[in-house]
Amino acid sequence: MVQFFYFHLMPWPYLPDDFDRRHPTSWVTFSNAHYDPQRGHALYNEYLDEMERAEALGFDGLGVNEHHQNAYGTMPSPNLMAAALVRRTQRAKIAILGNAIPLRDHPLRVAEEVAMLDVLSGGRIISGFVRGIGCEYLSLGVNPTYSRERFYEAHDLIVRAWTEDGPFSHEGKHYHVRYANIWPRPLQQPHPPIWLPSQGSTETIRWGAQRRYPFISVFTSFAQTKRLIDEYKAAAEAAGYTAPPEQIGFAVPTYVAETDARAREESKPHILWLFRRGLKIPPHFLLPPGYITEESLRKFLGAGLRPPSDMSFEELERGGYILVGSAKTVVDRLKEMQRQLSFGLFIGGGRTGDMPQAKALKNMELFAREVIPHFRD
Amino acid sequence: MAYRSEFLSVAGVRTHLLRGGRGAPLLVLHPEYAANRWFPYHDALSARFQVLAPDHPGFGQSERPDWLEGIDDVVLHYVDLLDTLGLQHVAVIGSSLGGWIAAELAVAQPQRIQRLVLVGAAGLRVEGVPRFDVFLHPIEETLQHLFHDPTRAAQLLPTEFGADVIARAYGEATTLARLSWNPYLYNPKLQRRLRRVTAPTLVVWGANDTYLPPAYGAAYAQAIAGATLQTIEHCGHLVPFEQTEQLVQCAVRFLEGEG
Repeated sequence: MVQFFYFHLMPWPYLPDDFDRRHPTSWVTFSNAHYDPQRGHALYNEYLDEMERAEALGFDGLGVNEHHQNAYGTMPSPNLMAAALVRRTQRAKIAILGNAIPLRDHPLRVAEEVAMLDVLSGGRIISGFVRGIGCEYLSLGVNPTYSRERFYEAHDLIVRAWTEDGPFSHEGKHYHVRYANIWPRPLQQPHPPIWLPSQGSTETIRWGAQRRYPFISVFTSFAQTKRLIDEYKAAAEAAGYTAPPEQIGFAVPTYVAETDARAREESKPHILWLFRRGLKIPPHFLLPPGYITEESLRKFLGAGLRPPSDMSFEELERGGYILVGSAKTVVDRLKEMQRQLSFGLFIGGGRTGDMPQAKALKNMELFAREVIPHFRD
Repeated sequence: MAYRSEFLSVAGVRTHLLRGGRGAPLLVLHPEYAANRWFPYHDALSARFQVLAPDHPGFGQSERPDWLEGIDDVVLHYVDLLDTLGLQHVAVIGSSLGGWIAAELAVAQPQRIQRLVLVGAAGLRVEGVPRFDVFLHPIEETLQHLFHDPTRAAQLLPTEFGADVIARAYGEATTLARLSWNPYLYNPKLQRRLRRVTAPTLVVWGANDTYLPPAYGAAYAQAIAGATLQTIEHCGHLVPFEQTEQLVQCAVRFLEGEG
C-alpha cells in the first residue's frame, strides 16, 4: 500500500523572454517587478482548483511547501495554502512539506498555525519541517551559520508546545519564552505527524530515523534517493527498529500520457523549465557560508556531482530525477523502485514549471486512474 | 626579514601567530581574505617593529570555538591574547575586518592601545552609502571589488583550487558570516562607543574603495577625537596589498610619533 500525494510548487511561469540570457537566477536578486498580481490571482486559483481536483481523483493527500522570493515556487506561507485547502476538501491529508522553521522568527507561531490547521481540518495535517534552501537565508536575512541549530531548537520547542500542558518555559539559545501555552492544541495525538523532506545530511537522517519521522528524499536522482533511504534504514536499525514503508518516501516530478513518446514530448519543455529556470541558482546562493559544514562541502565537491540544471532531458530521465512515460512505464518503474526502496509515500507533481493547466489535469487523471490502483493492495 | 610561525593557547583557543622583527610590539590584524601568510607589508613593518600577526579565530590556522558568535567574542579573545603575550601596551593596525576588531579593541581597552591605525576598517554603517555584499557574490567577483587595479588580486589567489582549498575558504566565510551576516559587517553600537578611544588614531582609506567607500573612513575620522584621515590615491579597499609602500610609509611615520 502506497499513499499518493499530489504536490504543488505553485511556480511563477511568466518569465521574461530574455530570462535565459539576461538573468543569472530566478531567486534572491530576480526582481519581483516580474510578478504580476493580476495574473497571480488567476494562477493561485487555478493551482488550488487542481489540488481540490486531486482529492476528487483519489489522491490520498495534497502537498504544499514553503519557498521565498523567487519564481520557482510562490508559496511563502504553506500554512495559508493549507488553510485554503482545508475548507474545500473533506478527506485528503494535507501535507506541509514543510515549514522552514529556522527561517521563522518564532517557532510558536508555527506551532500555533499547524495546531489551528489540525483542529480546523479534523486531524488531516502532516507537518513537515525543513531548513529552507540557502537562497532563503539571503532573502530573509537569517544567518545561515545558525540554520541547523535553529532547526533543532525550533523543532524541540514546537513539539513541546504541542504535547505539554502549558504554560512552560523554554530558555534555549535562539528562542526564549517564559509562558509557552498555545491555544488551540493540535487534534491529532500526540501531535500531527512530522515528516522530514530533505536532500539529506547524515546528521539529519540519523536524527529523523531516531524519532521515526518519515524521510522524504526530494528532487534528486534515483541513485542518490536510494543512497539516502538506505542510510535512513541503517540509522533506523541502529536505533533498534526496522523502518516501515510508511516512513519512506520520495518526491519526483511526474508526467503520465498515453504513450512514452507523448509523455516525453508533452512534458519536456516544462520539466526543463523547472530545472533550468526555476532551479537556476548559482552555487554561492545555494550554499551560503555555514549552511553546510566544511566536511560536507569537501565530501560534496569530492563526489563531483553535476547539477541537474546542467542536464539534458534524457539525462534527467535516465538518472531518475523525473518520472515520465505511459501509465504502464510509470507503474513498472514505480514497482521496481518499490522493490529497491520499499517506499510507502509517493509525492508526485503535478503541474511542473510552466505547464499549461490542460496538460496538468490530463496528467493527474491518467495517474489517478491508471497508476494509483496498481498500488492498492 | 625573518619571521616565525607559532601556536599559542589563548584561554584554551589554539591560535596561530606569525611573529617577526624587533622593537616596539605592533599587533597587525588581517582583513577577511588574507590570514595565515606573511605578506610584504608584514615584512616592511617588521623592519621597525616587532610584528605580531595572529590569525583571527576561525581564520587561517586558528580554531573557531563554538562560542564565537560576535565581534565582542573576537575582541575578548584579543584581550586574552595580549595577556598571554604579557603586553601591557601595544600599537595596533588592522585592515577591513581587522580594522573593525582594532577599533573595538581600542573601545574596550583604551588604556592599553597606544596608537591605532584603521585601514579600510569595517564596523560602521553610513546611511545611504551602499557597501559591497560579499555574501551575494562568488569569491572571484569579490576579489575584483577589493582592488582598484584588479590584476593586483592575483597575490591573494591560491595557487590551486582543490576541494581542500575551497572548503577552507568556505570555513573562513562561515566565520565571517557568524560574526557579521546580519547586521552586515558592522556593529550598530560602535559609532557611539568610539568616543572611548583615547589612542592617537590614523585612518587610512583607498580613494577608490568600492567595498567600503571612503565615506566610511570619514565616519571613523569623525567619531574618534583627534583622528587623522589619510586617503591613498589609485587604491581600492585592500590598501596593504595594493599600495603597500605608501601604507607602510604613512603608518610607520604615524606609529613612530611623527605623524
